[in-house]
Amino acid sequence: MSKGPAIHTRDVRRVFESRKGFFFNELVRTEALRGVDLDVADGEIFGLLGPNGAGKTTFTKILSTLLIPTSGTVEVLGMDVVKDAVRLRPRIGLVLGGERGLYNRISARENLRYFADLYGVPMERRDRRIQEVIDRVDLTSAADRRVEEFSRGMKQKLHLARGILHGPEVLFLDEPTIGLDPKSARETRKLIRSLVADGVTIFLTTHYMFEAEELCERIAVLSRGRIVARDTVAGLRRLVGGDRTIEVEAYGFDEGEVARLKHIAGVSRIVSEEFGPKLRLTLRVGTTDLSLDTIRNQLTNHAELTVRERRTSLEDVYLDLVEEEAT
Amino acid sequence: MVARSYSRGRSLLAVMRLAVLTFLADPQWLVPSLIAPVVFGLVSYELFAGSGPWFVLYAILGAGMMSMWGQTLYGSGWATGQDRHLGTLEPTLTAPTPYLYIVLGRVIWNTLAGLLGGAIVFVVVAITYGHPIPLANPLLFLLMFAFVITTLAAVGVVFAAAYVYTRYAGFVQNVGEFAFYIGTGCMFPVVLLPFWSNPVSLVLPPTWALDALRYLAIPGYQGFSWGFWGDMAGALGTTALYLGIAGTVFRRVERHVLEAGDLNDW
Repeated sequence: MSKGPAIHTRDVRRVFESRKGFFFNELVRTEALRGVDLDVADGEIFGLLGPNGAGKTTFTKILSTLLIPTSGTVEVLGMDVVKDAVRLRPRIGLVLGGERGLYNRISARENLRYFADLYGVPMERRDRRIQEVIDRVDLTSAADRRVEEFSRGMKQKLHLARGILHGPEVLFLDEPTIGLDPKSARETRKLIRSLVADGVTIFLTTHYMFEAEELCERIAVLSRGRIVARDTVAGLRRLVGGDRTIEVEAYGFDEGEVARLKHIAGVSRIVSEEFGPKLRLTLRVGTTDLSLDTIRNQLTNHAELTVRERRTSLEDVYLDLVEEEAT
Repeated sequence: MVARSYSRGRSLLAVMRLAVLTFLADPQWLVPSLIAPVVFGLVSYELFAGSGPWFVLYAILGAGMMSMWGQTLYGSGWATGQDRHLGTLEPTLTAPTPYLYIVLGRVIWNTLAGLLGGAIVFVVVAITYGHPIPLANPLLFLLMFAFVITTLAAVGVVFAAAYVYTRYAGFVQNVGEFAFYIGTGCMFPVVLLPFWSNPVSLVLPPTWALDALRYLAIPGYQGFSWGFWGDMAGALGTTALYLGIAGTVFRRVERHVLEAGDLNDW
């Protein structure tokens, strides 16, 4: 029997209201989410990207029962996150990360023991399970030290340990590798992959594009409270114009040159940006037939012209999509 | 899935354990739980020793109650405020255990710590001044003391809800603290207060419980005209009312904070 999606949302909206002014008589409404539709399959690693303030954390908190949506349907593991929150909570995990969110004056092991009890991890397994997750996030030698002595990276690992302590079926990770050194970040990504191998569905938000590209089967880009694209990384590359990116640099281009480049077959998008004293044109190319010489032939009046090619990165895709949404 | 479902008893014990660990890790709690009660007790003795042993007991009971209340209020309400400050309110609310049980666990621990403070007052005063403080009915007194703790806990839970509701709950706490000290008769008899303040006194369960405690401990005590059993009925009724309010308030407060999305503000 095939399972339904682990996460299913339709037209999710969230408005924050706050009062300002001397007598708090001015009502300010901020629309954080403006109709988010999303389905995440069971056992998938799904990535949510978006600029600061796009609504990623708001959406993650709604999915993990910490925030009630203003309207829309939100189901996790087939349960409504508002009506069935109490039944759902033991089956999901949330890692918000950061410096806060831990009891600093007690040890990492005591922090985990407290939450193991609140989650109802069976008594006969509790201490073994705590040791398991401590080992899994590589905090073994620091497990009995007070959290206040921890570095930011160690706290991040402890957040992760707490998130997986009770064996959730769906794990929400909000920036899980922020603050980690490269080695720890790599180990964390390895841990995330191993969780998926255990059957856990992962919903991940991150600012690190390579991380999303490395881990996620599918990615959505959230901008200004709306999902502007969702696909595999390859699908997103196609969406913004192709796998190939050609960069052209010179001391300025006239409008005629840019227009000629736009008309070359296979060039789907041109973004221009200042690059020191030079101007850089970034071309998204969806065909393998276009050679760099074809580009050079259109730009013959430049003494110093650089033309190079690279693969379109997820960062390129992301920036294109967010910029497109903003304009 | 490793976890099954939460157990209320286990959650309460876990919260109490955390409170003990936090208590031991932070020496500031020695002031409200041990040092302040002893100072109150010694000062009371010095002030009222000439008025006879029962009057000393009257004053010491009030002093002990003040420190117990301080411990309950700070330990329960303040701890919830700390949850906001530390950012632990969010992960705690994501756990399946309802937050009401988290607060209840804290209240139980803090009232027990307050009880310890009260006991230490009696012992220190007895040792310092060379003779024990008399009690009319020691066994009943102990039972009644436990009941007083329950009435304190009932009010403490309602105050803790304020801390979940808003980061500005410290204001409510500070106002509530003085209303409590004066209104419940800890500092001086309620009958000395102006008539208009009586409703405030009577809606606080410890007012009734403290009067009942004094009826029990002090022979010939003249408190409220309805006597010991009237006090008991009042204490039971108001405690039940507070516990009922706490249950409803917590459900609503939890809903409100999930709607407002300000759990991480402090």
